[in-house]
Amino acid sequence: MKSVRALSVAIAAALTLCGAVLPLRAASIAETKHVTARLIADTKAVEPGSTITVAVNKRILAKWHTYWQNPGDAGMATTIAWKLPDGASAGEIQWPAPKRLMVGPVANYGYEDEVTLLTQIKVPDNIRAGDNFPIQAVVDWLVCEEICIPEQVTLDLSLPVVAKGMSAGISTREIESARAKLPTENAWPFSASVANNKIELVAASGEIKSADIASAQFFASEWGVIKHAADQPLRIENGKLSLSLEPYEAKLPKSLRGVLVVSERNGGATAYAVEAPLTGTLSVAQTPSTPMRAVSDVGLLTALLFAFLGGIILNLMPCVFPVLSIKVLSLVNHSRMGYRQRHMHGLAYTGGVLACFAIFAAIVLAFKAGGAELGWGFQFQSPLFVMLLAYLMFAVGLSQSGVISFGGSLSRLGAYGGNDGYGMSFLAGGLAAVVATPCTAPFMATALGFAVSQPAPILLAIFVALGLGLALPYLVLCYFPALLRFLPRPGPWMERLKQALAFPMYATAIWLIWVLAQQAGADAVAAALAGMLLIAFAAWLLSSAGKRWRLANYGAAAATLLLAIALGFIFVKDAEAPQQTASSNPRYEAFTPTRLDDLRAQNRPVFVNLTAAWCITCLVNERVALERANVISAFEAANIAYLKGDWTHRDPAITAMLAKFGRNGVPLYVFYPAGASSEPVVLPQILTPDIVLREIGQTKSARIQN
Amino acid sequence: MLKKMIATAAISAALVLPAFASPEVGKEAPAFTARTADGKTIDLKSLRGKIVVLEWTNHECPYVRMHYNANNMQSTQKDATGQGVVWLQIISSPPGKQGFVEGLEAIKVNTDRKAVPTHTVLDPDGKVGRLYAAQTTPHMYVIDAKGTLVYKGGIDSIPSSRPDSLPKAVNYVRETLAALAANKPVPNPSTRPYGCTIHYGS
Repeated sequence: MKSVRALSVAIAAALTLCGAVLPLRAASIAETKHVTARLIADTKAVEPGSTITVAVNKRILAKWHTYWQNPGDAGMATTIAWKLPDGASAGEIQWPAPKRLMVGPVANYGYEDEVTLLTQIKVPDNIRAGDNFPIQAVVDWLVCEEICIPEQVTLDLSLPVVAKGMSAGISTREIESARAKLPTENAWPFSASVANNKIELVAASGEIKSADIASAQFFASEWGVIKHAADQPLRIENGKLSLSLEPYEAKLPKSLRGVLVVSERNGGATAYAVEAPLTGTLSVAQTPSTPMRAVSDVGLLTALLFAFLGGIILNLMPCVFPVLSIKVLSLVNHSRMGYRQRHMHGLAYTGGVLACFAIFAAIVLAFKAGGAELGWGFQFQSPLFVMLLAYLMFAVGLSQSGVISFGGSLSRLGAYGGNDGYGMSFLAGGLAAVVATPCTAPFMATALGFAVSQPAPILLAIFVALGLGLALPYLVLCYFPALLRFLPRPGPWMERLKQALAFPMYATAIWLIWVLAQQAGADAVAAALAGMLLIAFAAWLLSSAGKRWRLANYGAAAATLLLAIALGFIFVKDAEAPQQTASSNPRYEAFTPTRLDDLRAQNRPVFVNLTAAWCITCLVNERVALERANVISAFEAANIAYLKGDWTHRDPAITAMLAKFGRNGVPLYVFYPAGASSEPVVLPQILTPDIVLREIGQTKSARIQN
Repeated sequence: MLKKMIATAAISAALVLPAFASPEVGKEAPAFTARTADGKTIDLKSLRGKIVVLEWTNHECPYVRMHYNANNMQSTQKDATGQGVVWLQIISSPPGKQGFVEGLEAIKVNTDRKAVPTHTVLDPDGKVGRLYAAQTTPHMYVIDAKGTLVYKGGIDSIPSSRPDSLPKAVNYVRETLAALAANKPVPNPSTRPYGCTIHYGS
């Protein structure tokens, strides 16, 4: 039996080797009006477990062309769908280098006359000698000259299976010449960088000479990375070849991939496979088609009004309320102050607020000019700032508690001791503005989102409107003291309240230290707490200063304060943004744009929460809404993927996501119902469980109602 | 004589080359006036206050035919114009090239395939096409009521000439119009156009 079988295999192999006997087995041919296509293998028979190369060879009618993997401005890449026996698999198409074909101003990447596309096929182990190994390729292409025709052919090839060691490779002209045209891998070290809004591709072999090279052309593997039709100025110096490429419509990739074709003066051409990490970024102003930011149909007036309203509402936010209360208290205390003085205090406070907002605006503008983007609350992304603010809160708290009792200190932030008190009112205004930043009030988000997309004067105007809104309630009280009548009469309660208001200050300091812990780690926390100890010590020195040692005590207090601040500079460094992983909390994953796209492509509904440790509004929303048991179970029931983006540190991906929704600060809550093309729903900035359930309920109302 | 020729060449190059810079999304859409198939003149500026869709087309191109045979383009037109959107179909094929039509034929083609654009613009000299750097048919652009270009690119997300791709594809024009109606940012403001190359006359 065995010998019979071996004989039949040998006969089959012999017949196949003769080739001519079974022409249809060797290559299947299909013809269309414009293309003759053949399927060819590099062997006459396959062995179990081997890898063979098959080729789709296309002969194209003169003047017509088909396309490369990136077809350029128009056109369509050829695709091959393989139908193979179980266990067999086909690799990607190995594309020979294309030509750039210009049609007027439109550049296409493709092939004329003839092209051979190679693919490797893995033959499984479990096939038996004597059987057949059928290969079918359904090939789709677009062939164009003046007009374009999509064509499809089905090519079949069946190879006999022979025992290991029995197959005979054959050399065909098509496959050999296709192999010769494949881009050479790893021949030259390539690097790519972005500068002045051009992509610079450099091949540094050290031996490239301008005398040898006639021209060079780079083809990017993906559509839209470079402008297909643009000139690519070539420079060759010191053995280096560099091409200047124009970025196009697609987002800059992390790595520049493609083929570099170098034409030599002797008439030859060589293709090199390019894969080089792309460094640098486009400057914002000239990024081709910056993604639509703040397409918000908010007009300038609406934005100004929103900013103003948002500013007023900020007064009620937990960050600002204590500071404002202190100011209002002292106003009550000095209700007999002259009109002029009161007005001056109101104006000084307003001036402080506005000065602070003008500084924010200037910083945002400076960063914008440098190509970076900052958002509302950006200063909280600096741990050093967070620490200094914790110090300030602690010091204000101490003064409220009455620990510091000497004149001219922070305790007089709320005081009115004659003209010099105006300075304190100014500082209080600045303080209010600074502590307001971790809060985002309703209306503000829209206004600020609009502001950052605008030129400098408008941006400044919107910040000023916000500041005016913040300063307004106090200013009104200064000008209309009659309103103070609604408050209880001055009395001992005021001292009690003043002391009581120290506790929100301490609480704020604790929160800031917690933020610092997330940003810069345990060492920074220890340094900051030591700094606070020093501040308390300095306060004690100051308050216990007798007349005789006053100067010495003042000096010692100042030295202690400086030491406290120095601690910050030494120990508080921005830790590397911790890799946000899902492992710490299985309920959510870290937000990345790719993850979002993946989940949406999988048809899953996605809830995106962009937050920051320093954003109080965000933390409150999570506690009262997103982490409620009924919300959590509703997420699970509807199989909603929960992505959380932490903006505690600067993160351009999150800034970009915010900008996509016309926002400039956290929080941002977006729900994407299932389906890759579903309309995202933006939730309000102040959440309740009901709001969240209602918004996500749209996709699964049936289940929730049950 | 030679000098004059060089000068002419330089000037025409200067005129032609910058004209093919692709207009930027987020900026004002380039203004144009052009002749329509029914012999009128249309001025883009006069359409301020309305959302405008530009559809480059060539009724013989297989991609265009696929979208019309599957009733995809017509239903997009119908839904858009139903919401008050002005839909301008633009034909930039020069005489002698595929897709070139005179006014009467353009109207007949649309009647036959039940297309319902607001107007069909005839652009045989490629003036409008070059202004918008239209490369393919179809190639789609959306301009908002303020005259800002908010979308440019393909009709949908799957470059294909087979109708079986349609149910899976995201129709970018619908997506853009929905975002504008909801006052939301356009999710995909610039995408890859696909289809037949537009052959501009010289």
